[in-house]
Amino acid sequence: MNGLHGMIFSYEKRNNLRELGEIRAASSIPFGGRYRAVDFALSNLVNAGVTDVGIVLHGPYQSMLDHLGTGKDWDLSRKRGGLKVLPLFDYKKKWGGKSAFRGKMEALADVRSYLDTIRQDYVVMMEGDLVVNLPLSDIYRSHVESGADITVVCGNDSFETENGTYFQLDQDGRVTDVLYHLHTPRGYRGLEVYVLSTALLKELVDDCTSRDEYSWRRDVLQARKGPLYLRSYIWNGFAAQIRSVQEYYDRSMQLLDPAIRADLFRLDRPILAKGADKSSAYIGPDGRCLNSMVADGCCIEGIVENSILFPGVSVESGAVVRNCVLFKETTVRRNAELAYIIADKNVEVLPDRTLMGHSSYPIVLAKGAQI
Amino acid sequence: MKKECIAMLLAGGQGSRLYVLTSEMAKPAVAFGGKYRIIDFPLSNCTNSGIDTVGVLTQYRPLELNSYIGSGQPWDLDGSSGGVHVLPPYMGSEGGTWYKGTANAIYQNIGFVDLYDPEYVVILSGDHIYKMDYSKMLARHKAAGAACTISVMEVPWAEASRFGIMNVDDSDYVTEFAEKPKDPKSNLASMGIYVFSWKVLRKYLEADEADSASENDFGKNVIPAMLAAGERMAAYRFSGYWKDVGTLESLWDANMDMLSPESGLDLLDESWPVYARSINASPAFLGYRSKVSHSAFNRGSDIEGTVENSVLSPLVHIGEGARVSYSVLLPGVTVEPGAVVEYAILGERCHVGRGCHVGGTPEQTAAEQWGLTVLAPDCTLEEERRVPAGTMLDRNGKEVSR
Repeated sequence: MNGLHGMIFSYEKRNNLRELGEIRAASSIPFGGRYRAVDFALSNLVNAGVTDVGIVLHGPYQSMLDHLGTGKDWDLSRKRGGLKVLPLFDYKKKWGGKSAFRGKMEALADVRSYLDTIRQDYVVMMEGDLVVNLPLSDIYRSHVESGADITVVCGNDSFETENGTYFQLDQDGRVTDVLYHLHTPRGYRGLEVYVLSTALLKELVDDCTSRDEYSWRRDVLQARKGPLYLRSYIWNGFAAQIRSVQEYYDRSMQLLDPAIRADLFRLDRPILAKGADKSSAYIGPDGRCLNSMVADGCCIEGIVENSILFPGVSVESGAVVRNCVLFKETTVRRNAELAYIIADKNVEVLPDRTLMGHSSYPIVLAKGAQI
Repeated sequence: MKKECIAMLLAGGQGSRLYVLTSEMAKPAVAFGGKYRIIDFPLSNCTNSGIDTVGVLTQYRPLELNSYIGSGQPWDLDGSSGGVHVLPPYMGSEGGTWYKGTANAIYQNIGFVDLYDPEYVVILSGDHIYKMDYSKMLARHKAAGAACTISVMEVPWAEASRFGIMNVDDSDYVTEFAEKPKDPKSNLASMGIYVFSWKVLRKYLEADEADSASENDFGKNVIPAMLAAGERMAAYRFSGYWKDVGTLESLWDANMDMLSPESGLDLLDESWPVYARSINASPAFLGYRSKVSHSAFNRGSDIEGTVENSVLSPLVHIGEGARVSYSVLLPGVTVEPGAVVEYAILGERCHVGRGCHVGGTPEQTAAEQWGLTVLAPDCTLEEERRVPAGTMLDRNGKEVSR
């Protein structure tokens, strides 16, 4: 056990994931050929030596429960500590008049009794929809050494994200302003990863509750940035927040770049995921597959280019798949043709059908659809 | 805890005919079919057949095998009652011995079997590739009221003299057993898979142990003794894919069979899944100039070259312009750009340098010189090295003879 505790937030936020988000929380969206988004946060934590992780679940969380199980895939099925799933605790209370949290502070207030059980002195809060491979143990160590109240982790690329938080920094990296709902983003994009002491977190939750404040960004970061020392940590590597179909698609396609893969799938900080009991992937005598990621159990008899195939995808002979992301068990029948498609699980595209999206508007095929 | 049926898996053999591939590990731990080890097949068969208690008898170089089996979780064999147990030879107050033979290995573990007080024991071996429902064999054993049921399969008559042959009567009861007969009377070959009624087997194991002339082997001693004593011995006919992968050629053949479901070995068929302990790595990546056909590949691999009719395990790297054909690459192999690998088995973490040429095709090699080329695990070849067809190199790159 080290001194850091993990909190992951997986609840419905305003996002633009269309059909992909209807049946699941953004945290359990499949990404990168064999992962779910939350695998990244969990692996980041485990690779930093974190042994205790709480996941705040809300909204359509069935697929998250199914995915997480006991946590054994991340070595978080432990006698003491390990993974704790935190669904709505205080059922009777109507948070904000609705049965949905208005913000992170309200979600934390709901699991306030859990916060008292945290054994570690520091907490790192992450979102389940963040795809990244952070050196969290370095971030944690530098937080403790810096004497900051809260360390906010920022990305350093030109990508925008839906409903993102942006930070203005002074030359010492201290946060001078916190902005969101920006029409034209400026400053550093926050990755919604925060390190702070457990004591401060509880104090903030209690103080916010007593004032009916619920927003982490507005009521803590913006309102208290004066008295609190907010320090930034800039991450220069790949960091994707999956909040819209377009972001999902663009970020997936980035994985075809070897440098991005090397950054995200580092051997010294492996991303752990649930195993699929599939056999090897197979390409047939006439199959062709170029510039693509291909997971276990795929069977390719047709043509695949610039695509990401999840386990068990079948591309029959004569079929052509270009610039697509095909989730588990998608079947593309003979002579069908797909371009710029994101197909959810168990989609079947019948023979000779043609479907074309565009890089600026990838088409989503809902789970189980037969085209 | 009383169990109706448990399995004992003989996994202690060296597998000397796999030569350098088993110099550091027991045969059941050898990689197969890209993502499996040989032992995944009997272990998965047990789970799929409803057998939740398996004793794995280990002896030769068990480290790799032990760590692979671990808690048994990948095969769902980590239950609180039963599960998988690794059973090495042990010392007692009056000394101890290595497992002297297959029967002696079970004899030394009578105590383990008795813990579960089973009615029946399935004896399996750790060097076969097949999918089989042991519960059907057990049903045959019970219906036949047999003391022992032996799984058999029809083999071509021309090959029958290479096997242990069972002669049976009209009701498929075994009347005679002939080990590698010159003039076979039947073409039913024993697959080395037995179901015994435990009480009967226990008696014969004790008698076998008391016989100092015995080699303590099931096929050579126990089965003939039971037949001679007039025990009821049933044959169970199996008609699916089954291959003993005890030689380099048969291991290579079985890997090639996996590429063609017509062979009968269809690993994509999920009605009888084969489980494995998988490594954690991102999906395979196939580059712009890759050309992969009729081949299998796995996680963590990066393929930029040409791959034909081959089986690639996880973490394999094929450089641009390299060509791999009719070969089996075990986990962690790297083939540098421009190298050629043909009709070869490359052991774990082999490194084939730029411009090397490993192996050769039967067409381009004199018939008497042709054979599979095999590199031991961790063998590193410097640039431009030529390794002719039919040669075998140890981990230091020195040629070793078969």
